[in-house]
Amino acid sequence: MTLRREPFDPVLPWLRAVLFALAMLAAMPAARAQDAAAWLARAATAAQRQNYVGTIVYQHGGHVETSRLVHLFEQGNEFEKLVNLEGPAREVIRSNGEVRCYYPDAKIIRVEPRTFRNAFPSLSPQQQAALAEHYNFRMAERGRVAGIETQAWVFEPKDGLRYGHKFWADAASGLLVKARIVDERNETIEQFAFTEISIGGKIDREMVKPTWAVAPPDWKVRQSGPDEADAKETGWTVSRVPPGFLKIVEGFRRLHGTREVAHLVYSDGLVAVSIFIEPIGGAPHPTGMSRQGGINVFIRQQDDNLVTVLGEVPAATVRQIAHSVARR
Amino acid sequence: MGEQISRLMDGELEGAEAEAALRELRGADGVASWVCYHVIGDALRRCGEPTPGFAARFAARLEAEPTVLAPRPRRVPRLPLVWAAAASVAAVLVVGSVAVSMLDSPPTAIAKAREANVVRSAQAKPQPVPPDYLLAHQEYSPTTQIQGVGPYLRAVSAGGADGRP
Repeated sequence: MTLRREPFDPVLPWLRAVLFALAMLAAMPAARAQDAAAWLARAATAAQRQNYVGTIVYQHGGHVETSRLVHLFEQGNEFEKLVNLEGPAREVIRSNGEVRCYYPDAKIIRVEPRTFRNAFPSLSPQQQAALAEHYNFRMAERGRVAGIETQAWVFEPKDGLRYGHKFWADAASGLLVKARIVDERNETIEQFAFTEISIGGKIDREMVKPTWAVAPPDWKVRQSGPDEADAKETGWTVSRVPPGFLKIVEGFRRLHGTREVAHLVYSDGLVAVSIFIEPIGGAPHPTGMSRQGGINVFIRQQDDNLVTVLGEVPAATVRQIAHSVARR
Repeated sequence: MGEQISRLMDGELEGAEAEAALRELRGADGVASWVCYHVIGDALRRCGEPTPGFAARFAARLEAEPTVLAPRPRRVPRLPLVWAAAASVAAVLVVGSVAVSMLDSPPTAIAKAREANVVRSAQAKPQPVPPDYLLAHQEYSPTTQIQGVGPYLRAVSAGGADGRP
């Protein structure tokens, strides 16, 4: 022990202890912020770089749906195919940035030409701080999921404005094999889980090709996506986003084919909320609340504009945000 | 001011705004707005429409109800009986006054509410989650980045919207 004792002044050791405790407290959130961010980065990298194929079960509300998922990472290129095995045979094909959704029942292909994927993992220091400030991030149990050894992790919200999240990651590769969203009563409202998965095996390029290599002539192709002037001010502000949500995107994008829609995205580092504002003239439009699993949507008409807010947050949060949209 | 009370009923207020609306409710005008908006709400939902003579019939039937007392071997102390009587009188008063106030509410309010119902019923029916918006959103959510294409299941889910425009 090299610390010099101060037997004549009992205040000093006490003060030192307090200061030390304070320093520890101050250091802890920062450490946890890095932990959470580092963990997210690892999971994102695994999702992008691993080769895997498996059966995934999607549960939301009373629905349970099974799909087949194939993911290939080959010479820096990423390909992914998701086919639902129940109901209409819809599928999602990702090739690098582009995502195509095929709806054979409606004869529609929706195309998202450019995606955000490569921008991750790079949470800004503010986002890292927000993560630590608004969630308790902790390690949970080890156990088997889809036949493999996993480590579970929990993001527990510190307020009622966001949901809780639990993730089960393959202990070897870090790939997520199960993800669950829970509400404030810790009840599951949405879950994605592999029931069987093979990680790191050989994936054939054929396995990630769309069923419809060429769109049938009577199908509609709906290309959405950002315009040239991508990152620009839309003239709209949102005053009541929950603390910790930072604006990550603002611009106009094309939706429904032609219309220009203002799109703002806020994220707390784990989930995001999108705000869409579009002119609709005076025509009445369906409004109100709807939800699917972990996604809540609130649509309202504001003068001649339609405001659509959606995200992986509770209903009250999207509603609160929707009611705070205003002209700058 | 009535608008704040309406928003309070819809659960749109919180914090200071909710406090202000609650203070407003303490005034007579506030209570009138509260009752009026509830009558409108009931009319929109097509429930709670009072029928003529409801209060009188209710009072008559309550009168005719036999008083049920639990058979107990020991004598029931006097005081609880008094309280029970007081409580039933109070209940009748409350129910009666609500019924009467509903009957008293201006017929124009109900008529207007019915009128609004035609417009509102179209608006009140929420759409399924629109896939265009869902897809546009999905790109930016960090959860999509860590789960790969899995969350796109929301957009192609059989339980969700079918992707028609």
